[in-house]
Amino acid sequence: MSPSATHGEPEVGSDGPRQKGKATPDTIKVGCIAQVTKDGQPRRAEILSIKETKSGRQFYCNFDNFNKRLDEWVPVARIDFDQDVEWPNPEKDKQKDTKAKKTAAVPKKAPPSKKAQKKVGKREQSEPGSEGQTPHPWSEFVESQQQSQQNNKTDGEDKANASLELGATPNVASDEMEIDEDETPASAAKKEHAQSFSRDREIEKLRTSGSMTQNPAEISRIRNISKVEFGRNVLFPWYFSPYPEVFSQEDCIYICEFCLSYYGDLTSFKSHRMKCTLQHPPGNEIYRDDFVSFYEIDGKRQRTWCRNLCLLSKMFLDHKTLYYDVDPFLFYVMTTRDEKGSHLIGYFSKEKESADGYNVACILTLPQYQRKGYGRLLIQFSYELSKIEGKLGSPEKPLSDLGLLSYRQYWSENIVDLLLGYSDSQEKCTIESIATRLAMTTQDVEHTLQALKMQVYHKGEHKIVIPEKLVQQREKSKAKQKRIIDPDRIQWKPPVFTAASRTWGW
Amino acid sequence: MATRKVRYKKLSVKTPLGVLRENQIDREEYESLTNEAQIATGVEQAEENEYHLQAVLQSAGVAVDKEIPVPPPQESTLNYDELYARPFSKTSTYIRFSQTVEESVGCMYDLTEDDEVFLKSYNQKRAASAQLSEFDFEMIMEVFEDTSEFKAPFASIDQTIVPYDDMLRYLQDLDRRTKVMPHAKEIYEYWKSRRQALNNQPLHPTLKFEKHQESDEADPFVCFRRREVRQTRKTRARDVQSADKLKRLRKELEDARQLVLAAHNREVLKAEMLKSDRAIFEVRAQLKEHKIRLGIKTDDEDLINQKPQKRKAPDVPTVQRPPLPAQLRVAVRPTHPENDLSIYADRQAEKENELRLDIEKKVLSHTEWNRNHLDLTRGPLSPAPGPRREPGFRPAKTQYLMTPPTSAASDSLEEPTAMDLDKPEEDVDAVFHFRGVTQDQEARKNPPAYRRRIGRLGRLWIDRRGMASPPHDVGAETRDRWKYDESSDEEEDPPKYEVDPFDTNALRFRASIPLPPWMTNRAAVPTARVPLPPPQLPPAVPQLQPPPHPQQSQQPPPQPPVPPLPQNAT
Repeated sequence: MSPSATHGEPEVGSDGPRQKGKATPDTIKVGCIAQVTKDGQPRRAEILSIKETKSGRQFYCNFDNFNKRLDEWVPVARIDFDQDVEWPNPEKDKQKDTKAKKTAAVPKKAPPSKKAQKKVGKREQSEPGSEGQTPHPWSEFVESQQQSQQNNKTDGEDKANASLELGATPNVASDEMEIDEDETPASAAKKEHAQSFSRDREIEKLRTSGSMTQNPAEISRIRNISKVEFGRNVLFPWYFSPYPEVFSQEDCIYICEFCLSYYGDLTSFKSHRMKCTLQHPPGNEIYRDDFVSFYEIDGKRQRTWCRNLCLLSKMFLDHKTLYYDVDPFLFYVMTTRDEKGSHLIGYFSKEKESADGYNVACILTLPQYQRKGYGRLLIQFSYELSKIEGKLGSPEKPLSDLGLLSYRQYWSENIVDLLLGYSDSQEKCTIESIATRLAMTTQDVEHTLQALKMQVYHKGEHKIVIPEKLVQQREKSKAKQKRIIDPDRIQWKPPVFTAASRTWGW
Repeated sequence: MATRKVRYKKLSVKTPLGVLRENQIDREEYESLTNEAQIATGVEQAEENEYHLQAVLQSAGVAVDKEIPVPPPQESTLNYDELYARPFSKTSTYIRFSQTVEESVGCMYDLTEDDEVFLKSYNQKRAASAQLSEFDFEMIMEVFEDTSEFKAPFASIDQTIVPYDDMLRYLQDLDRRTKVMPHAKEIYEYWKSRRQALNNQPLHPTLKFEKHQESDEADPFVCFRRREVRQTRKTRARDVQSADKLKRLRKELEDARQLVLAAHNREVLKAEMLKSDRAIFEVRAQLKEHKIRLGIKTDDEDLINQKPQKRKAPDVPTVQRPPLPAQLRVAVRPTHPENDLSIYADRQAEKENELRLDIEKKVLSHTEWNRNHLDLTRGPLSPAPGPRREPGFRPAKTQYLMTPPTSAASDSLEEPTAMDLDKPEEDVDAVFHFRGVTQDQEARKNPPAYRRRIGRLGRLWIDRRGMASPPHDVGAETRDRWKYDESSDEEEDPPKYEVDPFDTNALRFRASIPLPPWMTNRAAVPTARVPLPPPQLPPAVPQLQPPPHPQQSQQPPPQPPVPPLPQNAT
């Protein structure tokens, strides 16, 4: 373990020195970075929100180099006020105005977002009739050129905007880990542009790529649902999910295990349960073995269900976006059966037509089923489908930390298995042949070989070496692993979508 | 390891790689390539350095079961079996299912806590029989919510509350299933108060969809925006495709309709059959009664029941049956052609055909009508200029010649008569021979006659008949034109022309004629058509019977008596 990994580079407020000083529970404010006890150890944490509860003031903390799912509300007692607190630094923000700001979480305190909104509104006014269209600069730029001259002024602005946005370089929004509520108007004006422009780029990316993942800048940083009753389990969400706003005030929300409908109060949930007749995902079963079943569900046909599923999974997926609707996706849902029905274990979504050759958009195993090997089944199933399609597939990026680990495990196990075969028969193999056999992209194969340190240069030749450790590990996991997907049980033909369905938004 | 300095060969995905176990080569012999390039993990940059992830990644291959900590789930304390009471029976085959959530749930309105309180107090006031059940309450509320959503989709913005009267229609629909009307008005008031309390938002918490308001973009709660519809290029192929699809759809609908129709017919006929069976039965019953009354004792069997009946029954049906299928067929068959959808193109072709037929018919009747008509105005080649072609010549008899024209252009008859003033020059004469097979005969037959008439601009014309006209003063060039005709005359070649219509010249000539049909008709026309002149070759003057000139054949005019004669202008 490298020291940098353990201590982490200061991720929270990493830009230059900040003003330091003592604080009290009353003076500490949103944006401050303090030492907060986490799991018995002090850790730097940024305060993202403050609320009053019956038991006293609570602070929502994002811990340095910890995933957001570990963010939590902490009482005053866990904050170390003996140490200096880093205050939010308004001056510094003037210099780094290319930084994207996350302001959605604290909209009232953030003038830039309001300005940005105003600008968005203006754009919308320039085409009042377009109900179905989400405004985004490029299409509007095009449209605006055909528009009458009465909008000339607005158009001019838009054009300037659009060209800037198009010329934008990526990664501008990569570091948005900062929040600053008292910005001067001058810096706000500058930042307003920076923000809208990364936003627009982001949305443009979403729109064109059909991606379901999203830059963190889009995400509200504070978890809105604290507790979920779901089937036999109580789940504690990890991330924000755009359930109805009033749910934020509920202590607990109730989600029907089969239709995934959500309720803020128990009475209506019970009332719903009296009526709900669903007992399995509302689609066609395409796979069944003794443990699990897979259902294929079309986002367009089962819009409500798929939306509900996305809302549910958003609570556990950071980089998922619900910005756009679910129509262009197919959902492959894995369930386990018992006498009550087919219970949702996890799912992956897949674009009906992926321009980038992705075979998975979002993938999730529900927390109550995690660490039981189900993720591996999901991943395997996604590759089995790719094999049937005759395509090489890869999951859409970015992966989450857990996603990366699951995929790496699946990849390495399968590649090692394959390589052992080659090694035994003394055959030579190519990266391409591995990719074809496993329906993986060659990049993923290379990535795995490198990550496992298997690629070597030996006597003037590239070779692959299988580390003994991996072989042992594989044998161990094989002994443990009891469930795999049996490809012969898949009853599935790649769905075909006509040009017309594409035209009408799938 | 000095190998660091060795330049590696390029590694492509197609490079064959040897696969070795770690123990097969000495660790010192190779150099791992992994330190070469940073591996792209595919994880968001900002998160790549996260503590727990790094911890696990670093330990990869170390076989330590490091895990990323997550908030753990718990067992629920709710009574699962009560909430999820319905048992699930496993199917033997893979499930196929297409019902939506809405269809599976039925009523989408769910009783809230507030509703429960309200309903309780509401029901307390009522007799047990007049109480409103929770389910019915939900149904009513659903109607209100749905109608409101439908009639005032922006209710939360413009604060419209849909009036009760607008709800009535939908309530009545519901009322047909369960009696809700007695409660509806009061529930409506409750619903209205709830709506108002919630700022006219739907009573159930809903997701935030785009409202095209300023706040949409930045609001993290707004989700599931509609995507822009991808513009497709409108191509002919796509048009055809959609047309085909529509056609297929219509055809299928039509087939279904016919099927229903046929089934209906069948049932009607069945009913009729039953009716007649019954009639037969009743008549038999009567017969039986009569028999009993009159004491007739024959074997009842063939008249009444059982086997004879059965024998008869087949009889009856066989009588009946033939009409049955026939009727069915008749009913169905004629409609079947209708089944085959008429394509627009077909229709168009049909129409066109009709038109064409009509035109052809008209053409036929026109030709019929014009059978004996020769249009003299149509000849492209008129041997003489102008006045020759006068169709409007009317016969007249005149004894009196007013003024003998001195130098009138004349192109008609070659026959010198007594009245001839100017003998036409020979060549000129010859030219005019062409025209009139009949004319000289006519002339011979008819005594000379004159007619006087006033022409345009008050010019005075003399029409003559039965005499040679004064030679037309033909200019030198014009005269030239006929030279060769004359010479052919002299060579006595006419039969050649007659016999060989495929002569190159003739062909060429005919080809230049604008109305080919006339050509073919012509052979018959001069001889057969014209009633007056007996078909005979004039011996005296060289004539070309079927000359290449179309004009020639047209010469014999339909009007029997008088061929158009040249006139002299005064």
